[in-house]
Amino acid sequence: MSTTSSPPPLRFTGSKYLVQRLVLSTLTGRPIRISQIRSNSTTSPGLLPHEISFLRLLDTITNGSLIEFSMTGTTLLYRPGLLTGSAQGYGADTSGVLKHELPANARAAKAALNVLFTGAGVITSSTPSTGDISVDTVRTAILPLYRNFGIENNIELRILRRSNPGPGNRGGGGEVQLLFGHQVRLPKTVHLLNAGRIKSIKGVAYATGVSAANNARMIEAARGVLNPFVANTYIFSDVSSAPLVPDTSKTAQLGARRKIGVGFGISLVAESSTGALWSADVASPAEGAGYVSAVAAPTVLTLMAMGSEDVGRVKMGRDVLGTEEVISLARDLRAFGASGWGLRDADEDEQGDVVVSVVGRGVGNVGRKIA
Amino acid sequence: MAVTLGKRKRVGRETVSRIETAPQDAPNDSDQEDLQAIFRRHFEAKFKPLAAPSDWDGISEDEEAPVEIIEHSTSTDAASLLDKQAQKAFMSSKPPTSTSTSTTTKPKRPTSPTEADGEALNLKNDLALQRLLKESHLLDSTTSYSPSGSNRHKATDIRLQSLGSKSSIHVQEKMPMSHRRGITAKATSKEERRRREAKENGIILERAVKVQKTTGGRRERGVGTPGVGKFRGGMLKLSKRDVASIEGPKKSTKGRRR
Repeated sequence: MSTTSSPPPLRFTGSKYLVQRLVLSTLTGRPIRISQIRSNSTTSPGLLPHEISFLRLLDTITNGSLIEFSMTGTTLLYRPGLLTGSAQGYGADTSGVLKHELPANARAAKAALNVLFTGAGVITSSTPSTGDISVDTVRTAILPLYRNFGIENNIELRILRRSNPGPGNRGGGGEVQLLFGHQVRLPKTVHLLNAGRIKSIKGVAYATGVSAANNARMIEAARGVLNPFVANTYIFSDVSSAPLVPDTSKTAQLGARRKIGVGFGISLVAESSTGALWSADVASPAEGAGYVSAVAAPTVLTLMAMGSEDVGRVKMGRDVLGTEEVISLARDLRAFGASGWGLRDADEDEQGDVVVSVVGRGVGNVGRKIA
Repeated sequence: MAVTLGKRKRVGRETVSRIETAPQDAPNDSDQEDLQAIFRRHFEAKFKPLAAPSDWDGISEDEEAPVEIIEHSTSTDAASLLDKQAQKAFMSSKPPTSTSTSTTTKPKRPTSPTEADGEALNLKNDLALQRLLKESHLLDSTTSYSPSGSNRHKATDIRLQSLGSKSSIHVQEKMPMSHRRGITAKATSKEERRRREAKENGIILERAVKVQKTTGGRRERGVGTPGVGKFRGGMLKLSKRDVASIEGPKKSTKGRRR
């Protein structure tokens, strides 16, 4: 294929929102060029391991994409190919960001997407250092959102082995499998205006490699706070042993293994009477009124922007709309050719929520169109 | 129960101490000092010298602070016990569906027999009314509300068809071929005339449904019979076409010839 017809790459700078930009690039098919990736850092300039892993993953699940680095790794050129969706046995060094962003891609894939995250560095819990949400939250709070867009079948997120962050908030030995088997041509237009009232709170308390009593104490404490508000509170306990990873220290014997990712955490999801979901992790406390929380806002807004050419509306709190992620997402979408958002105050509301109207760009699923 | 016990005890202790301390304050003190000194001297003589007396002067008897009770037990009421089903639904690998509160409430039973009777009567009347509406065109003025004679057969036919019968019972299955041809010819000529007249009068009719001739497939045969030819009079007759179909396409040997 000659690259003469491909448009010139969009230019971005900085390491922030790298994954988000790569996802948007893949979905819209616009090549991007990102420069000055941590160019000021003297210790670790360029891409970090988990970002490189994400690029490798994109390379695996697409067909014909082109990725070029500069010598130092501070500049990246990415020409997306066609999403085909087949990645198994993928060894990665991942963090929560990845699992968050990947489903957005997956819905547009041609065939069912099946990605297995393994290797040293997969953390299933929330990470306080980067503020990423846990896998449980992704499964229970993010993935159900796709149901609003008409994407609901054959979606699974299997947690095969749990792991908390290792020493120094890095490293882990978890194993997660993402199955995304429902591909649609266009996500449905949504009107998420009525947030409703919270009717139930569910959650998962997980302990890896530590006593199960931690779980009991967490559940006890959480229920103590939540029960006066919502009696319908269920928190389930998941206890597992610590994952083992190969020991790479100098003193270790050949083939020695060590425990990593010991710890505990809790993931809570509140569901409203109209199906809105708010999640809370230790790392990312629940914030924001309206239909979507700050954690879910980028996912929802991206899907709306990629939807059919119709105006979708979603109500969200001012503090959610004003977060750095959402604003940068708006700018990025603008750069990728999506139309701007319309904002207006929700009339009847006393909390000062904002209704965001997003015109879909009609980014079809190319694979679906052909198949 | 525990609370009341404690209260009673505390009250008793307080009263006892008040009785002890109130009347004889000063003499009691000196007496005790002396007694203790005597005991101490005796003890030291027998064993070894005791350490200097500490500042601690025993548990104060007349403390007014009430006994604080801290409970560490948790409430394990039936509602908080997690049912297995909910856990299974939530902890499976699939994203949980919106909380389906398991509605295991049984359908409401009619409260009294008279109510049930009324319901049954209503249903019966309803059915009768439906039937009357459907079959009223069969009724003539002389008869009552139920059709009789040939009309009864027609009514039965209507009911059967409404229940899902494929064909009417009035359709004659077997007849001479000439009769059947005549019937179809009459029907087509009638339809053709209707259409022609409508066209002449400028009336737009519904689109004509083209009846496809079902001559393509072979007729259903019995199990175990030969799949080719005609079996007649104990003899399987193969036509030329049958033979050709068995032999398959002739390979042209033109190209192969050397």
